[in-house]
Amino acid sequence: MPYTMKTDGLEDVEKLLTTLGDKAGAVASAGLYEGAGVMADEIQRQVNAIRTEEFRYTVFGQRSPSPEEKAALQSVGAGIAKFDKNGGEVDTSVGFSNAGYAEVNGKRKPIPQIANAINSGTSFMKAQPFFRKAVHSGQRKAVEAIGRGIEDKVEALIKENGG
Amino acid sequence: MPDEYTALVEALQNTNIPFSEYGWKTRPENTYGVVGLDMEAGSLAGSEGKQDRAFDVKVDVFFRKLADMAEIAGAVEAALSSCLGACWELNSIQYETETRLFHFEWIGQVTGTITAPEPDPPAAEAQDGEG
Repeated sequence: MPYTMKTDGLEDVEKLLTTLGDKAGAVASAGLYEGAGVMADEIQRQVNAIRTEEFRYTVFGQRSPSPEEKAALQSVGAGIAKFDKNGGEVDTSVGFSNAGYAEVNGKRKPIPQIANAINSGTSFMKAQPFFRKAVHSGQRKAVEAIGRGIEDKVEALIKENGG
Repeated sequence: MPDEYTALVEALQNTNIPFSEYGWKTRPENTYGVVGLDMEAGSLAGSEGKQDRAFDVKVDVFFRKLADMAEIAGAVEAALSSCLGACWELNSIQYETETRLFHFEWIGQVTGTITAPEPDPPAAEAQDGEG
């Protein structure tokens, strides 16, 4: 005896999938925005943990960054670059590029250079890889945030479409 | 120590660049390198413990002459490629205006443990009074 199955809502699903196809970029952006925010917060947390010291002279490979150098990074915070959208693909970066200049020990220095010197160290300063620490500890949280952002955006689209 | 790390240190110390693990007590002359494990890059947990671990390896080279750049970078990257395959990157290039030194920094990843190797079992005691 043949069985019959009846389903409701397939038309709605089809409509939703069509809508999502058109709005893939917006959905990806919403997710990425959440993830980039989490990563920026994580970087800021690691910047706040940078060790500093007041110094009068530099000892080979020994000194820590000065409080002014740390304050320069804290004052601007990690920025999120403008989203680069290419269809359903969205890219961005988080960091100190184009962060401007800061006055350190009477000299005007580019903030990305200060961040790089603290992160990688120099011949007279110990490296404090705050950026890599932030990436390692924030990666999972950022991926989770991206997933949540995408889910929220999809739910909002379903509601918009009367689902 | 992770085998890949031990091999990398040996390969770097076989180059023409003086390499030290973790740092120098006194500043060497114009060109010098520092290599060391830096931090845990990631791990896989299971059975109430860490099963697999990856570590970041940091390789810093400081040198003064721009003309030496290609030779130094080539030697370090050849050692990295032979020991770590493709698991490394040139993380930053800096020029220190105060010291007039170029600073190249590579970051690589190795897997393994940092526990000491198991000691060799004691040799079997010679049996006396026989034969």
